[in-house]
Order: sequence, then C-alpha cells, then structure tokens
Amino acid sequence: MSYIEFRNVVKRFGDATVLDHLTFSVRQGDLVTLLGPSGCGKSTLLRCLAGLETVTEGKIFLDGTDITDLPSSSRNIGMVFQQYSLFPNMNVEQNIGFGLKMEKCPPDEIRGRVRDAVALVELEGKEKAYPASLSGGQQQRVALARAVVMRPKVLLLDEPLSAIDAKLRKSLQQRIREIHKELGLTTIFVTHDQDEAMVMSDMIQLFHAGRIEQAGTPISVYTAPVSVFAAGFMGSYNQIDGAVFSRLSGMQIPPEDMVAIRPETISLSREKTAQQGCCELSGTVLDSTPRGNVLRYRLQVEDTEFRVDVLFRSFHLFQAGERLWLTIPERDCLRILKGAETA
Amino acid sequence: MTEFLAFLPFLVIVVCYELLPLCQLAVSSFTEKTSGKPGFENYIKIFTTPLYQQSIVNSVRISLISAAVGLVVAFFAADLCHEAKEGTRRRFTMLLNMMSNFSGVPLAFAFMVLMGNTGVLTLLGKKAGIPFLANFNLYSGNGLVLVYIYFQIPLATLLLLPSFSGLRPEWREAAVILKADPLDYWLRIAIPNLLPGILGTLSVLFANALAAFATAYAIVMNNYALLALQITSKYKGDVEIDKATGGALAMVLIGLMVLATAVNDCFTKKSTQGRRLV
Amino acid sequence: MNRRSRLFAGIFLILVSCYLLLPFLMTLVYSLFSEWTDILPHGFTLRNYGNLFSDPEFWSSIARTLVLCAVSVLLTITVLLLAMYVIIAVNRNLRGFMQIVCMIPYALQGVILSISIISIYSGTGTFLSNRLLMLFGAYTILVLPYIYQGICNSLNAISSETLLEAAQVLGCGKFRAYLQVIIPNILSGVFISALLAESIVFGDFVLANNIAGNNYQNIQVFLNRRMFKSSGLASAIVVVIFAVVLLITGMVLKLQKPQTGRENG
Repeated sequence: MSYIEFRNVVKRFGDATVLDHLTFSVRQGDLVTLLGPSGCGKSTLLRCLAGLETVTEGKIFLDGTDITDLPSSSRNIGMVFQQYSLFPNMNVEQNIGFGLKMEKCPPDEIRGRVRDAVALVELEGKEKAYPASLSGGQQQRVALARAVVMRPKVLLLDEPLSAIDAKLRKSLQQRIREIHKELGLTTIFVTHDQDEAMVMSDMIQLFHAGRIEQAGTPISVYTAPVSVFAAGFMGSYNQIDGAVFSRLSGMQIPPEDMVAIRPETISLSREKTAQQGCCELSGTVLDSTPRGNVLRYRLQVEDTEFRVDVLFRSFHLFQAGERLWLTIPERDCLRILKGAETA
Repeated sequence: MTEFLAFLPFLVIVVCYELLPLCQLAVSSFTEKTSGKPGFENYIKIFTTPLYQQSIVNSVRISLISAAVGLVVAFFAADLCHEAKEGTRRRFTMLLNMMSNFSGVPLAFAFMVLMGNTGVLTLLGKKAGIPFLANFNLYSGNGLVLVYIYFQIPLATLLLLPSFSGLRPEWREAAVILKADPLDYWLRIAIPNLLPGILGTLSVLFANALAAFATAYAIVMNNYALLALQITSKYKGDVEIDKATGGALAMVLIGLMVLATAVNDCFTKKSTQGRRLV
Repeated sequence: MNRRSRLFAGIFLILVSCYLLLPFLMTLVYSLFSEWTDILPHGFTLRNYGNLFSDPEFWSSIARTLVLCAVSVLLTITVLLLAMYVIIAVNRNLRGFMQIVCMIPYALQGVILSISIISIYSGTGTFLSNRLLMLFGAYTILVLPYIYQGICNSLNAISSETLLEAAQVLGCGKFRAYLQVIIPNILSGVFISALLAESIVFGDFVLANNIAGNNYQNIQVFLNRRMFKSSGLASAIVVVIFAVVLLITGMVLKLQKPQTGRENG
C-alpha cells in the first residue's frame, strides 16, 4: 500500500531538468531518506511534495488523493527547513502555536498541544525564549515541534541537521528517530550524508542526477550497490576494472563489469591463509591512516591500489613497505555493470 | 606619552569647530539678550511669538508628512525591488543612489522648471485643464512638502532595502505550509521583523527634513516660516547677529531631532522585546 | 511571484524611476532649448552652455569649490589617520569618544554646524573670525563622518591590530608599521570615502551660503544667485553640477564593486 506516490514527475528550471521522470512510492509510517550529493534534485522533490514548487509533468498522490495542484496550505504537510525558518519576532511557544492559530484552533487546545509538542522535543523551560537566544540544535527542535504539532499526514525534513555540529547531530538523529516511532508519522528525510541515512531510515532512495539510482533498506543499499555511483557514494568501495581483477585474482570476470569490494571485507596477513572461497593477492603497504576505531591501509597490488579497513588492534600494526597477503572472500567481490549509471 | 601628540590635530579641530561652537550655542540660548544673565527669556520668547511658533509647527508638519509619504512609497518600492530579478534590482538601486544626490538648490530649481509659475507642468495643467497642476503654488508649504517628498523617496528606499533583505524566504515558505494566508504573513511575520528598520528610517527621514535648508531657501527664500530658515536668518550679515534667539531656535531644532531618535529607540526596544537583534 | 504581480511590480518600479528622473530630465531638456512656453519646447540651442562656459564667474566658483573639496578632505584624512593611530596602537579607550564626535556632524547637518561656528567666532575680532578660516573648519567637520566611517571599515576589513602586532614582532616600530603596513592597505578604502566626501562638499550650499556668502562663492551659491536672473543659464549649471556629482558617485560605485566581490569570495 503506497501512501505517497510520485508518478512520472518531471521538474525543469528553464533548460535544466532537475527531476527526470521520477516514479516511486512511500509506505505509511515509514521514515524514508532521500540521499544524494548536493544538486541531485532531492530537495526539489521535497519542495514539490510540499507545494513550494510546481511540477512540470507528472502527478503526486498523498493518501489516495491527487495533490499535484493543491496549494501548500491544503496539503496537510509538515516541514522542517535547513535553518533560519523560525520567526524571530515570536518566542518558542508562539512559533509552535502559529500554525494552530492560523487554523483557528481554540486557545485552550492550542495551549495543550503546544505544551505536548514542547515536551516531545524536550524544550521545557524554554517556552518564552526567542529564537536568537537558542542554539542551532534547539532551534531545529522548535522547528520540528512546530511541524508535528499540526499532526500532518507527512513530515518533510530538508537537511535539518546539516548546519549543526557533529556531536549534537548524532543525538538529534536519535531524537528524530524516536519521535518518528512515537508518533508513527510518515517521514521523508533529505540528506547528503550517507552515515546519517544509514542510521535514520527504514528505506533509502539514492538520488543521482534527477533520478533514483537505487532504492532499498539501508543494509541492502550498502551491501549491494547496483552501480558505480552507488558503490562510490555508499561506502569507500574499491572499484576495479573487471579485466584487471581477473588478471590479479584469477577469477573469471567479464571485462565489461567492474568489481566492487568494501574495504572492511578484506583481511590482511603476513602468511598465506589458503581459505576456501577466497582469493588471495600479494601487495605492499603504502601507508596507514587511523580513522576512529579503524585503521585504513593503502596497499599496492601490482598496478592497482587497494584500500583495506582493519579494526584498530595493536598486534595488527603493519609497517609501510611490508609485503602482505590480502584475503578477499569471493562473495564480497560484487560485480557492477560498468556503464551502469542508472539502475 | 609623545604618541598622544598624533591625536592633537584632530582634537584641536573638533574642539574648535564642533564641540566649542555647540556648547556656545547652548550657552547663548540660555543667555538673556539685554542683561546677559542666564535665564529662559529666549525660550519664552520663541514659544510666545507667533512667527516662531508657526515655524516650529510648519517644520514638524512638513517633516512628518514628507517622511510618512516617502516611507510608504519606499516601502512598496523596496519590497518590489527586493523580490525583483537580480538585474532589475541592481539597476533600480543604482538609480536610487544617483537620484539621492539630486538635492539642494539644483533640486529646487528643477521643481521650479516643472511646477513654478511658468513651469512645464503648470502650463500643461492650464492647457489640459487640470486644476491641481495649473493652480499649484510651489512657493508655499505644500510646495515644500512636494519637493521634500521627492528627496525622501530614494533615501528611504535605500535605507529600507537592507531590512527587506533580512526577510528570509524560509519564513514565507514556513508560513505558507503552516496555513497562513499572505495577509497573515505580512501582518504577523514580515512587518514585525521589518519594524525596527521602518522606525529607524522614519526617524532619519524626519530629522533629514527638519534640517534641510538649501531646497527650502532656494524655493521660498525667507518668505515662509520654517525653523531652519528662521535660525539661519538670525546669523545673516556681519553687523547684527541675534545669538540669543538664534541659539534658542537651534536648540529647539536639535531637541526635535533628539526626540525623534529617542522615540525611535523606545519603539525599537519595545518591538524587539526580549530578543536580540540578529 | 506569478506573472501578474511581476508585471505590476515592474510597472510600479518604472513609475517610481520615472518620477525620480523627471525633474532632472526636464531641466536637461530646458537647458537645451531656447523656448518652452508650449507643451513641447522648441529652438534647440547650446547657447546656455556657451554662455555658462564663457562666464568667468562660473570658472572662479568652480575653482573655489574644488579648492574647498581638496583642502577639507585632505585635511580631514590626515587628521583622522593620525588620530586613528593613537586609537589602534596606543589607547583603545578613546574610540568611544572619537565615534561620538565623528557622528555628531552627521546628525546635525549643515544648518546647526554653520550657525554655531558663526555664533562663536564672528565679530570676535581675532584671526578666528576670518570667514574663510571658519568655512574651511566647517567643511572639515562636515566630511568627518564619511571619512571616519570609511577609515573604520577599511581598518576592520584588514584586521589592523593583528597586522600591527605582526609587524612589531618582525622588529618594525609601531608608528613605522602604521605608516608602511596599515596605511597602504587601507588607502583604497579611504579613497572611496574621500570621493563620497567630495560629492558632499560639491553638493553643499548651506555652509558656503551661511558662512561665506558672497565672500567665497562656491558653485551652489553661484547657481542660487543666477537662478532668478536667467533660468536658461541656471538650468545649464544644474546639469553641470549633477553631471559632476554623478561622475563622482559612479566612480564610488565602480570602485566599491570589486571590493565587495572579494569579501564574498
């Protein structure tokens, strides 16, 4: 059952096609992430859904009704912007209650619902504060409360955390996920950060140049990229030409394919391990860089460079110049069509 | 210590040509003309002589009307200019910058060419039978209002434009999604956020019109009761300078300007309530 | 914005633009024709300009205006740059005083400034009662706010205090560092504000008329005296004055543009 449905949606700004015949749907209650590099059209799609932009072609359905030509105010949608969207002349309470006031809700009801929304985003005690005196994270929580207090059919989040520093972002991601579960609100989240998309979503729609490159659960998109672009964007896959990899490993890969190998699936050892179902390559360590709890090695295997991630354990430190064996399980050597820019 | 010597030339000039003259002005306004004793005689004289009363009233009236009309026109001009395309905006701002320099005596003369007794528009009005143009008397209070409005518009628009650029597009979008209609957006979000800018502009325009001299002098000479003209007439000629009355009139002018600024400050504080200005 | 409101916006802006241009354009046309007693002017002529440019009084008033422009602006720049040295290198507490003193003339404008100076010095019989001295003093004060603002903005833009410290660490004396490092860096900014100040002086009537009157007739006073004698000649003067002011403003705008571009980029 699709709750939101985009049918063949096209959006052009002048000569530039930003959305190119998009078709996809969202189930009720899901948190779906639109993921992609900046300028790929994901924010435009969100704005089309909100009614802030009109679509050039195609239809948008929400809960069974065609909303393509409805004005924003009749779509029953909540939206949180990147930043600066709070009204500076109103305090937290007034900001959150603004939409209800526009709906001509009775004051008592407004008070109650605003109180609940403030509690939901954990801003008790800040009701009378003005936006200028709040931190970026607090401002976005007010914006979130202002959107959900309207009990919208769908909540749109347009890179709401991109202007917030890394530590706070983590806890807000968590909070948004919790609120989503608590309210069961169908939510569309736009981001260019694939880690954020992995943490937050039920479904990921990976965008590229106005089209959906790949859709699926975070795990499926991460572990089984369908294209060179997806493999490059979702993780720092080693991408090796099919013919080259055949020569290095002895596996039979058609030359029109690429092989994509996630760096953490490769293991390193000084001795040959001769494991079943694995191929083993010999290479030289170029250098290593610590990345959090992972150590990333760069190794030279003949004419090809490999990236390998190893858990940071002191007994596993290899020096630059050392000759090592790279063990790669064959099932982790994913084949991608070379020209597969689109799914 | 010798380094402070570099400050000396500046100090000498501002003391000699700004601070001392101002102090002296204040002192002479409280010095009685005949006896030379301190007192309020000059002020009493100003507020009881019809000519001076009229000057103050006229000055305030012309300044308020021209500031208000200029502000209203500028409000729409600034809004439309702000929402226009980049190229239009640049050209319009350039025009404002240029025409804000068309002031003083040249402006007065241009209006005489347009609307003086044999002005182009006056003739046109007579030929076409438009009484407003045909019978318009430029050399009067209303004439001054018209000319003052002219120089208030570009100034006001230039002053308001930054406030309009401060309106974030997200506010309008958020308001639309939250079911506000355009009127709600203007009354509850745009205007409250523009208010400090609007009031500040109003006070600058008011002070600007109060202190304007060249335009008025060129048009009505001394034949109209206006504060700036009255003050200056007290210092004309080497022989007889009426420091006492002139000083008191000047202090009234300064007082009015300070009052405008103070009222503006007070309202700005109120309208921004507890929030800091971003 | 939809198409209709865009059209309305365009029309409104064009109307305002026409209104703002009308007085000057009419004066321009007026100056180029011998007669304008009907709806349309007739008798195209450059006679008004010929008469104007052959009038020695015009040239002497232009010369006097230029002297006023040059002397007052240069004097203000010199004095302010010296004073600014004390503020950034010696005693920062003076900044507040300087700020207030420099902004007062902006608020007061010409009338009060001119009569207060006349009031204190005229008739004292000392050298200070010399009308020319009073005039130059007054102009120096008149341009103070503009030059001060320009210098302040330029100093902020180059973070002068850090630069000065850096120069000192490199073994440069404070004053020398100010002269050789800071001033060359702010010169272009100061130049723009100087141009702005020139346009103020060029457009001033109040000070010249009140303080010097006929003793030192600048171009604006000249215009005012000619206005009632010959409107043709006066219209030509208006055009010349405005052309010069436009030229200066155009230069300011042109010079300001690359600077803002650099800040953005």
